[in-house]
Amino acid sequence: MKKIIKSVAMVAPLLFIIGCGDTLSQPSNETLKGGELMVEFSSELMKKTLIDAKVADENTTIFGYKAFKIPYTTTDEKGNEVKASGLFVIPTGLPAAVQPFGLSMVSDDHGTIFANREAPSVIADTNGAPDGSAIILTALGGFATLQPDYIGFGDSSEHYHPFVLKESLANATVDFIKTVKIFANENNITLNNQLFLTGYSEGGYAAMATLKKIEEESTGLTVTMAAPMAGPYALKTMADGVLSQPKLGVPSFMANVGYAYAQANDEALNSIINEPYASKLPTLFNGDLNRTQIDPQLTLDTTGDTGLFSSSFVSDYFTNDTNWFKEAVTTNNLHTWAPETSVKLVHCQGDDVIPYGISQLTAGTMTAMGASSVLVVPVELALGLDYNVTHGTCGTLAYKVTTGIFAQVRQVTIGY
Amino acid sequence: MKIITLSIITSSLVMAGAYKVPEQSINSMALGAAYVAHTEGADTAYYNPANMAFMEDKQFAEVGLTWAHLPRNEFVGNQAYSATEVYAANNKSEIENLQLPFMHYVANPIGDFRWGTSLTIPGGLTKRWESGHQKVSAEEFTLKVIEVNPSASYKVSDQFAVGGGLRFIYSEGVVNSDGGVIKPLKREMEGSTIEFGYNLALTYKPTADINMAATYRSKIDLGEEGEANLYISGVGKQFDASVKVPLPAALNLAVSKTWEDKYTVEVNYERTYWSAYKELDFNYGTPIQAALYDSFDASKPKNWNDTDTFRVGITAKVNDTVTVMAGYAKDETPVDKKYVSYELPDSDANIYSVGVRVKANENLSWGVAYLHDAKDALDITASDANVNGIIGKFSEGGADLLTVGMAYTF
Repeated sequence: MKKIIKSVAMVAPLLFIIGCGDTLSQPSNETLKGGELMVEFSSELMKKTLIDAKVADENTTIFGYKAFKIPYTTTDEKGNEVKASGLFVIPTGLPAAVQPFGLSMVSDDHGTIFANREAPSVIADTNGAPDGSAIILTALGGFATLQPDYIGFGDSSEHYHPFVLKESLANATVDFIKTVKIFANENNITLNNQLFLTGYSEGGYAAMATLKKIEEESTGLTVTMAAPMAGPYALKTMADGVLSQPKLGVPSFMANVGYAYAQANDEALNSIINEPYASKLPTLFNGDLNRTQIDPQLTLDTTGDTGLFSSSFVSDYFTNDTNWFKEAVTTNNLHTWAPETSVKLVHCQGDDVIPYGISQLTAGTMTAMGASSVLVVPVELALGLDYNVTHGTCGTLAYKVTTGIFAQVRQVTIGY
Repeated sequence: MKIITLSIITSSLVMAGAYKVPEQSINSMALGAAYVAHTEGADTAYYNPANMAFMEDKQFAEVGLTWAHLPRNEFVGNQAYSATEVYAANNKSEIENLQLPFMHYVANPIGDFRWGTSLTIPGGLTKRWESGHQKVSAEEFTLKVIEVNPSASYKVSDQFAVGGGLRFIYSEGVVNSDGGVIKPLKREMEGSTIEFGYNLALTYKPTADINMAATYRSKIDLGEEGEANLYISGVGKQFDASVKVPLPAALNLAVSKTWEDKYTVEVNYERTYWSAYKELDFNYGTPIQAALYDSFDASKPKNWNDTDTFRVGITAKVNDTVTVMAGYAKDETPVDKKYVSYELPDSDANIYSVGVRVKANENLSWGVAYLHDAKDALDITASDANVNGIIGKFSEGGADLLTVGMAYTF
């Protein structure tokens, strides 16, 4: 036995080399106050990326791209505080002579999305690479781009998205602009006082709602110019048109309007939407699916037994002036006011989803109500195209036109 | 749980076919691992536990340290990322200087049973490329393996004994890749694991001067688990990460003959089952960014081959005090040219070794051994269709190892 004990004692020291080790330290990202760095591409890398993508050549001036996710607090339709998020993108590698002027801001409200993975800050987090309109506005245009995720996406993905509801969209945008200004100040990012507003489709609507809120309320913000693009500003007119047609072009759009408006107005969804769709919408709009996944699960029929909207609702909408949905879309119209800010309504004449006439109606109504600087900018004309462009392909072209308009203003007012 | 001293006392090395390291004692280093049938010291517990049954009724202990010098790998050639993206990629890897400890112990017999244990570094690799296209995929690949191997023998008769043991493996892995200005992608990964296996042995002594032995060490999958920092152009995110690499099974067949109780020749054949290494597949706790997938998530085919290694070792007892040893091995690489990568540009090798053991007194002896691992140059042409886009020639590399140790019997 003594021998065994002695033997064990000989090898026991082996066991004492066992201990606890360290785990890998966190990535050495730039530390920021009030936000998180999501993407950083140098101007050289950005240029190589855009040349590889055949959207630029060696002679194109391209800036670096640095994107931050910024959390902030905003307010929904019912006045509840919501923890939201957005993406703030700045250009890097600007000439030294330009830097003292600071960056001009473009608040860029994104278009209609359904899946949370399509939100700006989520895309940046998922891809780690530049994406979408911020490439045009920031890497090519040299603007600081502000993209709120909106309520319902990003950090507030548990909340329903208030689709084309002006109050929530304007709140989400204005609160994000204010937060970004604080973020920039605390992180030595120099901004100037220029603030441009834009956005495409739902983003165009949101940009117009934002302008209205800034002009009518004490937000402390001043808008240099607004260029909403292809937005459904005349919402009541849009609703009248859609509900009077036998077929829906994009059923998810109107289904989402019905879903969001029912939630915001505490109305039962099945009071306007037929089964089985009324029961399906909460799942379809839970943020997991995108438009191409949702549309096939809906009907193209506007109303009737096989339609999306119940016949009784559609009938009441057209005959009853106190129909709650009619009142709600009328309340959310954004064309019946007179902005003091210069407004360019950028829109493709061939738009098959939001008719070009909506921008013409908006400009006409606003001018009639006293606005002095509201103009429609047809994208095809601005770019010298000899063909009409539809809603789906117009976005990139519209951003190109809008970026050019904003750059002209900056050149005239600031000098670069 | 981690063996923290591992990172202090060892790093890793490449020799003897891919990342398996068979030389783990003074005698085994001196004999080029032709040391299975005729084992005499405490290292018997590791090389052939069945032979413990035939050892004297004493306790045996041995400790030692191996210094390993790994010269640079030189690469002259091109790196092809696609048919149209082909770049000159001449480069040299970093020199590695490592220290590898070992400990062995054999207890007194208990009837026909006997036990022992070993602490060894049975495998590992390290390869660092600090610049160029090599850094894109293999800035650092390090695999550290440490084994605690308790074993036992049973003497069936005076001619025949069997043995076996349990293998407790602790391993750490480090994988760093940095695309720098070539690709804006970077990876930092660290992982560790504790795994288990077994080993078996038998020895037959048809005559007093002939030993015939067979040993088998089981395959152990090293499932390294830890974290990975993945960067796109300077912005990183941390993921839970894992990767599995095999420590392959190995079968040794050996025979030794001793003359006049002084001179021994051992011939050894080893079959290493490297074909277990099919792919290198990193996995992450959550999906990684799409731009990183091809570089850091997609499975990389390995498709290694089983290998044969032939060894011969000669031992001569010059007098009661001094024993000299020498060995030679012909080692085969498991890596087909099609699957060679910068982290392990392995090739066939000739291994030469010498050593001496000196008895200081009745109980204590010490020894020194030297081994030179001469790797063949590795020429990869376009017709080899290397899956990693390597077209060129690897040269130099190999290893020089110096072992010193002491043994004590009591």
